Amino acid sequence: MIYGDKKTGVLVQGATGKQGEFHIGLMNAYAKQVGGRGVVAGVTPGKGGREVHGVPVYNTVKEAMRDNDISASVIFVPAAAAADSIMEEANAGIQTIVAITEHIPVHDSMKAIAYAKMEGCSVIGPNCPGLLSPGEVKMGIMPAGLFLPGNVGVISRSGTLTYEVVDELTRAGIGQSTVVGIGGDPVIGQTFVDVLERFGNDPQTKAVVLIGEVGGNLEEEGAKSTDLPLVSYIAGISAPPDKRMGHAGAIVEGGEGDARSKIARLKKMGVPVASRPSEIPEMVRELFKGHC
Amino acid sequence: MKLREYEAKNVIKEAGIPVPAGFLIKSAEELTPHLGALGDAFVLKAQVDVGGRGKAGGILMAGKEDGIKTAKELFSRQIKGLPVKEILAEQRLDIQHEYYLSITVDRSNKQPLILFTEAGGVDIEITAKEHPEAIHRVIANPLMRDIPPFMIRELVGTAPKEIGQIISKLYRVFLEKDALLAEINPLVTTPEGVYAADAKLIVDDNALGRQGFFINRDLTEREREAEKHGFSYVELNGAIGVIGNGAGLTMSTLDLIEFYGGKAANFLDVGGGAESERVMHAVRLVGSVPSVKVIVVNLLGGITKCDEVAKGIIAAAIPQKVIVRLAGTNEAEGRAMLTEKGYEMLDTMDLVVKKAVAVAV
Repeated sequence: MIYGDKKTGVLVQGATGKQGEFHIGLMNAYAKQVGGRGVVAGVTPGKGGREVHGVPVYNTVKEAMRDNDISASVIFVPAAAAADSIMEEANAGIQTIVAITEHIPVHDSMKAIAYAKMEGCSVIGPNCPGLLSPGEVKMGIMPAGLFLPGNVGVISRSGTLTYEVVDELTRAGIGQSTVVGIGGDPVIGQTFVDVLERFGNDPQTKAVVLIGEVGGNLEEEGAKSTDLPLVSYIAGISAPPDKRMGHAGAIVEGGEGDARSKIARLKKMGVPVASRPSEIPEMVRELFKGHC
Repeated sequence: MKLREYEAKNVIKEAGIPVPAGFLIKSAEELTPHLGALGDAFVLKAQVDVGGRGKAGGILMAGKEDGIKTAKELFSRQIKGLPVKEILAEQRLDIQHEYYLSITVDRSNKQPLILFTEAGGVDIEITAKEHPEAIHRVIANPLMRDIPPFMIRELVGTAPKEIGQIISKLYRVFLEKDALLAEINPLVTTPEGVYAADAKLIVDDNALGRQGFFINRDLTEREREAEKHGFSYVELNGAIGVIGNGAGLTMSTLDLIEFYGGKAANFLDVGGGAESERVMHAVRLVGSVPSVKVIVVNLLGGITKCDEVAKGIIAAAIPQKVIVRLAGTNEAEGRAMLTEKGYEMLDTMDLVVKKAVAVAV
């Protein structure tokens, strides 16, 4: 696994909000099922002293860190305050931050991500579903019931499309090592390159499914950076130019980042690209026949 | 959201960047009091929210004598289907040299990227391909409020030094206005000094509120209506309506429609928490598109309650056929409710899309 395991103590910011509370419940149900530590503390300014599903809530991240062994966090706070939350956590010494929050202004994200980097902290997201290492740890909002432990890594800019692909893999009997949703915004912390580097150092991961979409060229940069066998899928072949397709980052601008040219570049690098999600399991099997 | 040219020019003018003397007029008659200030030859530019306006006949040259007549002519035109309601009448500059300057958000570096080239005035993409060495590039640090002088020197190179101040000022605009793009093309030298002959500003949609914008003009009316419900919506022009949850899955559903030979009418991402009322609004909204013959609903997620979704689809009660793929909790209840009312529910996205394409043809 990458980013965390059973022993990882997780903090949730925005713990007393509707989403935070709901997902602390689900994350800890998963932790209980796999024998992990799960969410050990929550933070909501002004709500210190409360409990959410038995998890103590603190006013600041530093207070939570003083009383608990914490190395990762999940952020559910609203967009206007989310960048501040990222910086507070990085400053307090948290190593991995998962920012679920959508609609954070890009300039705020750029600042928070640059600051976190300076503090030596990795940010996953924003605008992402988080990550899940089957049998180990869940940090985020992915539906745990779809996953199966195994040795295929998955990296995706999307949420539900990732679940679709994981569901296809699991039904085909192909387990996953870690599934990471890196987020649908134009500026995100961990990119394909960063996650692939982690997968490269993870003995459990033998191949990676890379799920991209229109906008930018992070997929190609990722594919170029790794020796791991890859299968890819790119969403948005039918997306018109200059229209944001749901995600702030899913836009073909100035004739760049369209699906067809992305697919062509990936294929040129020797990466097989599925034309629809249901083809992915078979292509992964082919990969294992050839490489692994 | 892209600002109109006169708005972008007002913003950079306030920041201290020289722009040509210009006046916004809403009728040809409003030009009269400005004729003295505009001089013998000036430019009339239609302020429409559409790209490529020059080639589409949206920019006309005019003079003192024919100014009013030319303005009338431009007001009577349609630029790519849009009526001309506002014209920017602008002084013509005595241009000596054209430069290109832009600041964007670089996705790979996650930082602002500043580009400057002495080969301005032409298409920057072409320069980037043919003479990449002619483009000076600098990555700025988003934690700093200013660009350090050494970076300015690297950018400006042998161009006039005044351009350095303009770069600093444009960078401030980029930060303060939550811009995704701040571009001056061309930035020109004239006997009177350096001017921004054109300006382009794109404001981050996620920062429109704090920038004082209350509607996003880049959206169509139906797209705005969808935004009120919290949906992401994009209008397309096929016969198959699409409702999904999550941008990636919804995009993938559109692609699958194309894969099976159909054409999607829209992109609609209902977002998180597909309660019955939200689903009802989504189905009605897509059903109200005249070209829609059939709707594909593709909802997936551990926390989606299928009975809630089924309730919403049934409550929408639209005349078109609705084909559903649902995966989540209470799947059996949802299926029973839908089949009882005669709706079709299939197990995979391939199956629903294939079926919809067959119905639409």
